[in-house]
Amino acid sequence: MVFITIIALFFSLSAYGQQDTIQQVEEVVVRHSFSHIVIPDRRVRTVISEDQIRELQPNDLGELLRKISGANLKSYGGLGGLKTVSMRGLGANHTAIVVDGFGVQNSQTGQVNLGQIQTENLVGVASTKGKTWSSSIPVSSQLSGSSILIQSFENTFMKDDTLGVRASVKYGSFNRTDAYLGVKYNPKKVMLSAYGGIRKASGAYPYQFENGLQTIDAVRQNNDYEDLNFGGTFGLNYHNKAFRVGYKQKEIKQGLPGAVILYNQTQNEHLATSEKNVFSDFSYWNSRFSLRLHASATQNNLMYSDPDYLNTIGGIETEYVNRSLSAGLSARYYLNGFTVFAGTEEFVADLIVNDSLFAEPVRFHNYSILGLLMDKRKIAARIHVSTQYVSERNNNGENAPDRFRFNPFVSFTAGEFSKHSKHIFWYRNSFRMPTFNELYYNNIGNNLLLPEDAHQFNYGISVVPIAKKLDVHIRSNVFVNLVKNKIVAVPTQNLFVWSMQNIGKTRVYGLELMTDINWKLTKKWKIQVILNYTYQRTLDYTDETSPTYKHQVAYIPVHTGNFDLSVHFNKTGLRLSNYAVSKRYSLNENVPQNEVEGFLVTDISLFHTFQFNEKQHLNLQFNVKNIFNQSYAYIRSYVMPGTNYLISVSYAFN
Amino acid sequence: MRLISLIFLVIILFSCKKDEPQPVVDETLQSGMAVLCEGLFQQNNSSMSWVNFSDNAVTNSLFIAKTNRQLGDTGNDIQRYGGKIYIVVNISSTIEVMDASTFTSLKQIEMIEAGTAKQPRSIAFSGSNAYVSCFDGYVDVIDTASLTVIQRIAVGSNPEGLTISNNKLYVSNSGGLNAPVMDSTVSVIDLATHTETQKIVVGKNPGGMITDQDGDVYVITRGDYAAIPSRMVRIDSQNDAVAEQFSFDVSSVSAMNNKFLVTYYDYSSSQSNVGLFNPSTETLENPSYLDMSNVTTAYGVQYNPFRNLIYLADAMNFTNTGYVREFDISGNYVQSFHVGLNPSKVIFYE
Repeated sequence: MVFITIIALFFSLSAYGQQDTIQQVEEVVVRHSFSHIVIPDRRVRTVISEDQIRELQPNDLGELLRKISGANLKSYGGLGGLKTVSMRGLGANHTAIVVDGFGVQNSQTGQVNLGQIQTENLVGVASTKGKTWSSSIPVSSQLSGSSILIQSFENTFMKDDTLGVRASVKYGSFNRTDAYLGVKYNPKKVMLSAYGGIRKASGAYPYQFENGLQTIDAVRQNNDYEDLNFGGTFGLNYHNKAFRVGYKQKEIKQGLPGAVILYNQTQNEHLATSEKNVFSDFSYWNSRFSLRLHASATQNNLMYSDPDYLNTIGGIETEYVNRSLSAGLSARYYLNGFTVFAGTEEFVADLIVNDSLFAEPVRFHNYSILGLLMDKRKIAARIHVSTQYVSERNNNGENAPDRFRFNPFVSFTAGEFSKHSKHIFWYRNSFRMPTFNELYYNNIGNNLLLPEDAHQFNYGISVVPIAKKLDVHIRSNVFVNLVKNKIVAVPTQNLFVWSMQNIGKTRVYGLELMTDINWKLTKKWKIQVILNYTYQRTLDYTDETSPTYKHQVAYIPVHTGNFDLSVHFNKTGLRLSNYAVSKRYSLNENVPQNEVEGFLVTDISLFHTFQFNEKQHLNLQFNVKNIFNQSYAYIRSYVMPGTNYLISVSYAFN
Repeated sequence: MRLISLIFLVIILFSCKKDEPQPVVDETLQSGMAVLCEGLFQQNNSSMSWVNFSDNAVTNSLFIAKTNRQLGDTGNDIQRYGGKIYIVVNISSTIEVMDASTFTSLKQIEMIEAGTAKQPRSIAFSGSNAYVSCFDGYVDVIDTASLTVIQRIAVGSNPEGLTISNNKLYVSNSGGLNAPVMDSTVSVIDLATHTETQKIVVGKNPGGMITDQDGDVYVITRGDYAAIPSRMVRIDSQNDAVAEQFSFDVSSVSAMNNKFLVTYYDYSSSQSNVGLFNPSTETLENPSYLDMSNVTTAYGVQYNPFRNLIYLADAMNFTNTGYVREFDISGNYVQSFHVGLNPSKVIFYE
């Protein structure tokens, strides 16, 4: 029985159906981007601004990232639910999350739980599907290909002003209450900032569940949520140097409602998460050269309990302590249209579990990169080689052998077919290391696992037609990815005994279409449209004789789309936000019993800004999510909330 | 406003639910077999398949067709007694009682105790009672007339298999949820008093049980799935002591007339094997009884007395839909039926 529980863990978290994906999008080098808001070239990157984040009111980063084309969200619930995002449908393990220039990693599961990253204090989110060279991004994130860059209010230097304040209060369905306050004091060269926020919800949402030909109406139990987030940063900002040091902490307590099990609503699992993080960086730049040194240390404590577990001691309580340390250096030198860049980063992580059988792994992971970027007017080319060296120890058993990988990357961008368009082609070879769970989990881990390897090819076109009142960007990408040695959980002896193995091979064929329109009708009226569509065929090519050969891999929809329409009249606005995915399969075999229905979710928000003076404004907003009360789920049996509302009042000074 | 039309188009595209064709099953079941498919943990996809031997047609939604609702999560055991069929659904923690000939639902017994699921595993019958092993450490006594739980008998930890012999109920206490320190005992329950009289030590992680025609009780001790192999142990029900431990690997056992079909795995070659065991002479008469060339994972084997044929449940790789494979009594492979996910047990109809 216990092994079945472990398998459920894996099914929920990682291996099955996950693949690697690395998307590559060119980034125009933005200097000094670490200290100011990252404003990458919209022709090649998706950017979500502070205003858009506020209009959407996502519960967390996971829900926000649905809006990005190529993003495949797996969500296990509304507020507080586990969420992972994989870009282009291939493996959340390959999507790096970068917060204010520092990478966030989870070596135990390999995937960062985006349900635990808030969007309240963010001033911008950018998705750089692929390699992006910028001093502000650590090498480890560069090598993982797809990166999500998020920029927070408290860690961004101000340009002219000395005091900045952000405050908000919210109330919503299911007894949801939030409060947040952030203050930033930045006179001349020194910056001091601090923030704190709390969120609470009972999470008891009504839902509908199909049982054969009957529909059950029920209320989600054991879904209470409470979190506390706070931190502070000290910084120094000179004309060619900058320094920051800061601390962040988050405490989350939540009930885990689990899968909806027919006829059995007893569910009492709980999860408490505590994370403490210290970070610091130093940057120097001039017209030709830039350099960044960074370091960060994190301790993440996860306490899981299940009082219903039918063992003799009457329940299980497991505590996982995951500590990590990273330090890195990135440098760039520019001369005559050529840029040489290099960087290295060392990442050390360990895992301690209060279970005497569990391994005690320690991982030393080095990422290094050396490259050349050639940027002439009509053509840009980038070539780099990166290496990763991973060395492991296990103080309670066998450790995985050392791994060294050498990965090249090549890209070409042609920008002058017409004045307004750009063509991009790139090829990348990359890999992802197995996670601690995959290598060492009691009886299931396989410490001889090879890393997953991937080859990616992408061809993209972006067009910016110029019209007087219309600001349009159109982008499209066609991609093919080949993955080998995919890590998958397989049963070996019987349904109780599984193990992790490298047996997968997949091919991904896809297409992305994105368009972004800003239309200023008159001085008072403004319309904004975001439309994107992703087509992805992710096929299992592992074994010709297998019944799943050439079937679509589990939980990857063939079609995904977003359609957002915002209408602004002076300071008032209305936003209609739509997100749709097509049918998915809960297991790799594409048979009717495994179908998970596709869905379309529509949200609406109404907002008004009271602009008191040039520096301060108050925003009042009313969001209704899932206005058509759709009954839907990303993952089978994890039903999402129906219609729910949120009222928010937010104040900003500077 | 092409944009609005686009919105509606998308809404229609994604909201339209395809109407699934209603499965058609005969009013009365006969000349066929009902296959219990376990599905996977927490996926609510346990199901029943019906194979009609007159035309070899397979219907994979027998339970939904008869009840308009799903079976639930992880159906673990199915037995027929007194004109009724009892399906023990482990994770949904229910017992579905069906009319044996029409397969209509008579009752769904909820197995929840004080807000905790009892997690029933297997069922056995004696007189007017049904006995269900529940993973929370009890055997529930169910009156087969009223279909209600009338008593709970405390046994060891995580009881699994059950069998009756000599007016006693033997229950294997697997202790599986305390891994790696599993239980090693079989509880003996006196059927007259409904109390546990003793525990017999048999070996690590005991599971399936069966009684032979002489009243001997056999239990499979599954070991630790690593160094300690899965073996069969014989208990003498006259003195309730371990009489013999067999030296061949066994994962599951079922009766074929007065012999046993024993399924076992060869771990080094990951091959399944089905042997023929004689419980009177206590010898493995034929270690390779069935031709395994078409079999991937033997998850259960049963003998059909109505047709004198043997049926093997092949779970394939546990995440793809499985098959039930038919063999004659000489061990030759005959044909296969494509059923649901993880087929395990079968009820045969004349």
